[in-house]
Amino acid sequence: MSETTSESAASTAHKGGHGAPAPAHGGHDAHGGHGGHGGPHLAHHFDTYQQQFDAGKLGIWLFLLTEVLFFSGLFCAYTVYRGMHPEVFVYAHYFLNTSMGAINTCVLLISSLTAAWAVRNAQLAQRKLLVLNILITIACACTFMVVKFFEYEHKFHDGLLPGPAFHPTEQVWELESFKHKHPEAAEYAEKLTKAAEAKEHAKGAAAPAAGAAAEPAAIERPTEEQLEPLIKAGVIGPNAEDQTRPSKPRNAHVFFGIYFFMTGLHGIHVLGGIGVFIWLLLRANKGEFGPKYFGPIDYAALYWHLVDLIWIYLFPLLYLIH
Amino acid sequence: MQGSSEEQPPEPREDATRPNPKLEPTEQDEPEEAARREAPLAADAHSGHDDHGLAHTMPVWMLVGVLGALMGLTILTVSVTSFDLGSEGNLVVAMVIATIKAALVVTFFMHLFWDKKFHLILFLTAVLFVILFLSMSITDRGEYQHNIDLYQSTTSAAAK
Amino acid sequence: MASPSATADVVAPRSSSSDNYLTHDKGVLSWIFTLDHKRIGVMYLCSVLFAFALGGFFALLVRTELLTPGKTIIDHDTYNQMFTLHGAIMVFLVIIPGIPAALGNIIMPLQLGAKDVAFPRMNLASYHLWIVGAVFMLTSLAINAVDTGWTFYTPYSTTTSTAVVPAAFGAFILGFSSIFTGLNFIVTMHKMRPPGMTWFRLPLFCWALYSTALIQVLATPVIGITLLMMIIERTVHIGIFDPTLGGDPVLFQHFFWFYSHPAVYIMIVPAFGVIGEIIPVFSRKRIFGYKFIAISSLAIAFLGFLVWGHHMFVSGQSVLAGTIFSAITFLIAIPTAIKVFNWITTMYKGVIHLDTPMLYALAFLWVFTIGGLTGVFLAVMSVDVHLHDTYFVVAHFHYVMMGGAITAFMGGLHYWWPKFTGKVYDEKFGRFGALLVFIGLNVTFFPQFILGSRGMPRRYYNYLPEFQPLHVLSTLGAYTLGLGFLLTAFYLWKSIKNGKKASANPWGGATLEWQCSSPPPYYNFHKAPVVTAGPYDGYENLMYDEAIQGYVPRKSASST
Repeated sequence: MSETTSESAASTAHKGGHGAPAPAHGGHDAHGGHGGHGGPHLAHHFDTYQQQFDAGKLGIWLFLLTEVLFFSGLFCAYTVYRGMHPEVFVYAHYFLNTSMGAINTCVLLISSLTAAWAVRNAQLAQRKLLVLNILITIACACTFMVVKFFEYEHKFHDGLLPGPAFHPTEQVWELESFKHKHPEAAEYAEKLTKAAEAKEHAKGAAAPAAGAAAEPAAIERPTEEQLEPLIKAGVIGPNAEDQTRPSKPRNAHVFFGIYFFMTGLHGIHVLGGIGVFIWLLLRANKGEFGPKYFGPIDYAALYWHLVDLIWIYLFPLLYLIH
Repeated sequence: MQGSSEEQPPEPREDATRPNPKLEPTEQDEPEEAARREAPLAADAHSGHDDHGLAHTMPVWMLVGVLGALMGLTILTVSVTSFDLGSEGNLVVAMVIATIKAALVVTFFMHLFWDKKFHLILFLTAVLFVILFLSMSITDRGEYQHNIDLYQSTTSAAAK
Repeated sequence: MASPSATADVVAPRSSSSDNYLTHDKGVLSWIFTLDHKRIGVMYLCSVLFAFALGGFFALLVRTELLTPGKTIIDHDTYNQMFTLHGAIMVFLVIIPGIPAALGNIIMPLQLGAKDVAFPRMNLASYHLWIVGAVFMLTSLAINAVDTGWTFYTPYSTTTSTAVVPAAFGAFILGFSSIFTGLNFIVTMHKMRPPGMTWFRLPLFCWALYSTALIQVLATPVIGITLLMMIIERTVHIGIFDPTLGGDPVLFQHFFWFYSHPAVYIMIVPAFGVIGEIIPVFSRKRIFGYKFIAISSLAIAFLGFLVWGHHMFVSGQSVLAGTIFSAITFLIAIPTAIKVFNWITTMYKGVIHLDTPMLYALAFLWVFTIGGLTGVFLAVMSVDVHLHDTYFVVAHFHYVMMGGAITAFMGGLHYWWPKFTGKVYDEKFGRFGALLVFIGLNVTFFPQFILGSRGMPRRYYNYLPEFQPLHVLSTLGAYTLGLGFLLTAFYLWKSIKNGKKASANPWGGATLEWQCSSPPPYYNFHKAPVVTAGPYDGYENLMYDEAIQGYVPRKSASST
């Protein structure tokens, strides 16, 4: 409305346009952004599409910085704890499923591709491809959450919960992953456990045994292959919780606390990303994006890449501990 | 600035409470501003590889290529765990590979290669601060760890 | 060349000056959902002042209790809650948002010559988040007010039975409010400067807000994750900070102070900016060493990230870390001193106008210098071992926060009051209020330096009888301070109801916000102003017009 009256450029028209209570040309549109004086999707307080895009880009990069620093606290806790108690981490990693972690990594990488591709589609106003790429991104993100859900379910089922709720249903040397890697050590731990149980049983039953003479006689001197993995995992040795028999290391629950916190916070960010992409999907379907206005897709994709970046570091730190 | 029609300047006492008229719209402003802001949203004549738009457009081969590299590095990082390089060695290798992957994502997917240098500076600043934070915390913890060990060994000795 | 204000020709404006940002839209909803940075700033101002009154109330409770050793009016557990609430409210609800969100939101885009901030909706979201954060904090107060001290140290915070979670979560939300404000300001200053507004023509208030915004964006996420970790530790007991669960309480302090030290620079750097605006205008003289002051704000922001361990000298932190932090802390005195010296030099051979804003600025110079220097005492590790957790520390930070940040806030409030309310307050009351505040804060806090150096611990409910006289003096000062603020509230409120109408430029400033009417129109500047001179140039081109009680461009045949 305002443009046509001003272009007909009578001074009275200009005066009328300016003094009117309705948002005039250059006026402050309280619900600015769509339609009207500046051009579609050009907010009133920006002069050009380039300025709007650049401002948004700088804004999203600043937001990503805050996300990096937000996660840094957890990475710091991880690093400090792993530095001081490596055995807790070695112990815990046997309980994690590396394949599921790797699948999730690949799924996120693909979703990063489709998100970046979607930006290209938006820039070239390729509406159908844009919608498809956003859909695939959402699908991958959902797959990630589903896999995560199953992982969490396993943990709950196996009693691997943070804090005082940590009561693993299986001993670490009974796990497939441990037995596969260190069969001798697994056997040795079994033997030690059986011997300790027998000793306790004997103590509880008849006359107290004269010293621990019975125990060493039953088991030969352990080899390196038998001993080392167990010491490294804090199952026996100075860091073990129970000094009389193979057990878990002291404060083993801390790893799982860190694990759930880091992956949980990351998962919340994935969910947030899914929400944003669904909203963008609806807008993309309506054909809102083109060469002059593709900022939202670009910014959401940048956020998504950061979520991927964080997982790129989480995966080896949590799943690939050696 | 715009030359507006010169009227006899009225007395300051009236105008001083009003907005600076130099900054007020004049008749000549409107068409210029309207033309400056208007721009169609339809696809440009130059589509494909153009820098004429608001930002550089990624070619498809580059996008897919980067994904390939990322997948390859993921496979690499998983397979490296089957070699024993000492607990430190494995961690270092894993972190190096993760950093290469991260660099690929940041440079290509996140477009930083074609972006304003300032964004790169911001990103590196954030990383720098994280390193600062982590290193001071770890250094400090390392320094007083022996106090904790001493305390733990004395209490467990007392418990025995 | 002259700044836009100081041109000879004045053309009749076309707009109606009775329509301004306050009258433009009517109704409560037009305020709650406004996108106008000025309205958002005004809402922030009202909210922050309300929170200041609440925090002040708790402070007076604490000081009243300390009139006698032993119980005076409340018991010891309640006392712990009172000082915690006082600290948490003042830090998170008042001083950190204070100058940036209240004064900065109203004034910064005007000073820049922009129509609004870069992301108006994010700006509104920032305000709404403040409200949500405040509600959570008040929830804690309602349930069983938190009693950990505003620093939430573990393991007490993870085990105490008071309502820590709502308070910590409230602070978490407030962190996001702060981040959004900072993010917005950075993008605004990068992308929305008008033609001719180069970086080194920005007013120093903008430089200060920019440096603060950098800190807000980089540091606040860390307190976010720290509070989250503390909440999770408290509810799930994961064992990160609690030693009985295998955690490390010193690690909490590292996390907490990595934000909270830069946070004190969030509090004070905008105050530096306000002082940098007031002093040249009220000395009628260009600021001395503009570039040095501008860059020193950035330097302080940067150095502020490297010194957090000086809060932890006696925490169990290693001596190595302590030494590093101590050394770097001394360095921060340098850019700070550069500012103070430059301000004083600005006043030299200037024409000093002792209006209320200038009185606050002068008070700032005195009081902040004391506060800052005592900070250097505390930076010396060997001295800090004796003074940590004593009233010396309490005095130090109140001198810099109350005497620094709040004094500057008051100065800025009075300086820009005519601009954003369109009303003039009674200058006599203003000066008297400033005097009361100045006397009050010195009488309250100077005795605390003495108390602390003689061994009075902080946060203590009971104390040895030998400390009583100084405590009584301090409390009397606190009441004086409260009186000063009450008086200020009274005459400011009176000015809104029946104050004189303000001119566009009552103080004779040369920065862009004095170009528009008081109050400004809702659209700030229809056309982006073209800037051709620095922000403190051209005082000689302004003259005082008695009739409107404001400054106008000097009409001259030839422009200088």
